[in-house]
Parts: sequence; structure tokens; C-alpha cells
Amino acid sequence: MLLSKRLFQLMLLAYPREFRLEYGPDMAQVFCDCYRETQSQGFVTSTTFWLRTICDVIRTAPLERLDTLGRDSAMKNLKANVIGLLACLVVIVVAFLLLGYGRRHEVASILLFGHALDAIVTAGIISNLIIFPLVMATRLSPFWTALWSLVIVNGALLLMAILIGSRVDPQFSFSRVSIGYVVSFILWLGIHWIWSQTKNTTEPVA
Amino acid sequence: MQKQRLNPEELLPLTPSVFHILLALSDGDLHGYGIMQEVAEHTDGQIRLGPGTLYGAIKRLLGSGLIVEADERPDPELDDERRRYYRLTDYGRQVLKAEVQRISKMVSVAQRKKLTPKQT
Repeated sequence: MLLSKRLFQLMLLAYPREFRLEYGPDMAQVFCDCYRETQSQGFVTSTTFWLRTICDVIRTAPLERLDTLGRDSAMKNLKANVIGLLACLVVIVVAFLLLGYGRRHEVASILLFGHALDAIVTAGIISNLIIFPLVMATRLSPFWTALWSLVIVNGALLLMAILIGSRVDPQFSFSRVSIGYVVSFILWLGIHWIWSQTKNTTEPVA
Repeated sequence: MQKQRLNPEELLPLTPSVFHILLALSDGDLHGYGIMQEVAEHTDGQIRLGPGTLYGAIKRLLGSGLIVEADERPDPELDDERRRYYRLTDYGRQVLKAEVQRISKMVSVAQRKKLTPKQT
């Protein structure tokens, strides 16, 4: 009896931990009750009981695993994460292409926003490389992680631009560069706010 | 927060194991093994629930509010006090009645088509 119970407890490892903790002892108890009942009914009944139990575990354990995966917020958020990542990539690529096109063809209307586009591309690449891994690997709030990362990255880049740009470029304009980074900060924060809202709404309802 | 409940008809058809578990609990509170025995008895041994099927169904029934864990425990001298007893809720009873009604309709159609076994 003890060996059979141990064997069944080993089989319970096929179920997700959460399910096992909640129902494992009850399942083991039910198994023992059934096992006791079949013991008195001979070898064939006992073997049939074991076969039925194994089939039951094979059939239900994957279902419980799938159910747990379906409720897992990380999995639920996977779609939102992919969409958020793609949206950020699209913004960076579009800003980069616009900037390149404006510079090549000297399009004044694009070049007017040159500093902002520059900031969007540079700050976007660096801050998103920090925000996405942090949010996906930890339980940190997506919005607050984005806010602080963007403040630090945009601030650091602005500081570097002031320190280096003012010495290298005689036409360096502090106000334009600053406005560029403010625009970049607002744009990226807006995108990350939308992303955080999408993540919240995809949390399990129950 | 109170989970919004679906109309009983929206949960139909029930799976055979869920239907038999609800049917077993319609007479009163039962623990897991008690449900298993009751189901085997109702079905002349045709449906024998395994522990995984039983507790998987119980988990879902608890989640959808069709059953609850009963507070009262039997006398420890009469039964193992570690056993958890389950009780059919009013909502669970409504769902069960709706399913019985659905099955009855199907049976009456079969009767009209003279498909039911002859009474002896």
C-alpha cells in the first residue's frame, strides 16, 4: 500500500505545482481508498485499476498544465509584449528613415524636427533595450519602469549632447536639442503607457 | 470581487463527468471518494472517475461557482476529518436542472422517432 501510494505521489509530479498543492493530498487519499477497494478483488481488478489510474494521469495532467499556462499572466502578456516591442521598433525605424530621407534630400520640414527624430531614435533604442528585458523578467510595473528609464536615458543623452555638442558643433542649439529630448520623452512615455494599459487588460479576470 | 455568472443555459452541454458529479452532489455534501462511488453506482460502473478527472472537474466547478467547499465536517469518529466535502450551490442546481431539461428534450425527440428501448 505504501509503495503504491508513493508511486502515485510520484505520478502527481506530472501535474502543475499549484494544482498539486491544492488537490494532491486529496487525490492521494482518493487513490488509497480506491486501491484498498480493489485489493480484495484480485489481480485483474488491481491491474485494471492501475491502468485506469495511469491513463487518467496521462489524460488530465497535460490539460491542467495547459490550463495553468493559459492563466499565467506572463503567457497572457506575451501578445501584449510582442505588440509593444513591434510598435517601438516601427517608431524607431520610421524616425530613422525619415531622418535619413530628410538629410539626403534636405527636406526642410523634416529637418526642422531633426533633433527630435535624432532623440527618438537614440533614446528609443537605448531605453527600450532596458525597459523590455526589465519588465519581462521582473514583476516591476511597466509604466513606472518606462518612466524612470526614459527620464534617466533622455537626461543622460541630453547631458552628453550639451557637453560634447557644444564643444564640437558651433551651431549647437541648446533649446532645440532640449526640445528634441522632451518630445522623445513624451512620445516614448505615451507608447509605454499604452503598452502598460494593454498588459493590465490582458490579466486574468478570475 | 463577485464574478459575474453566466446564464445556466450558456454552460450547457455539461461534460459527462461534470454532469455526474453535480448529480451526485444533488443529494447532499460528499467528499471526493464519495462522489466517485456515487457516480460509479449511478452509471452501473460505466463511468469510473480517476483522481485527475475528479479533481480537475472539482477545480473548475469551484471556479465557476457551481459547487462550494462545505464548512461543516462530519464527526471525526465517523470520517477522516481531513477530507474535504463539497456542496452543490443554488446556481449549480439551476445548471443541473437546465442540463436535465436539455437531455429530456433529446430523449423525447428520440421517443417520437421510436428510438428508445422498449419497456419490459
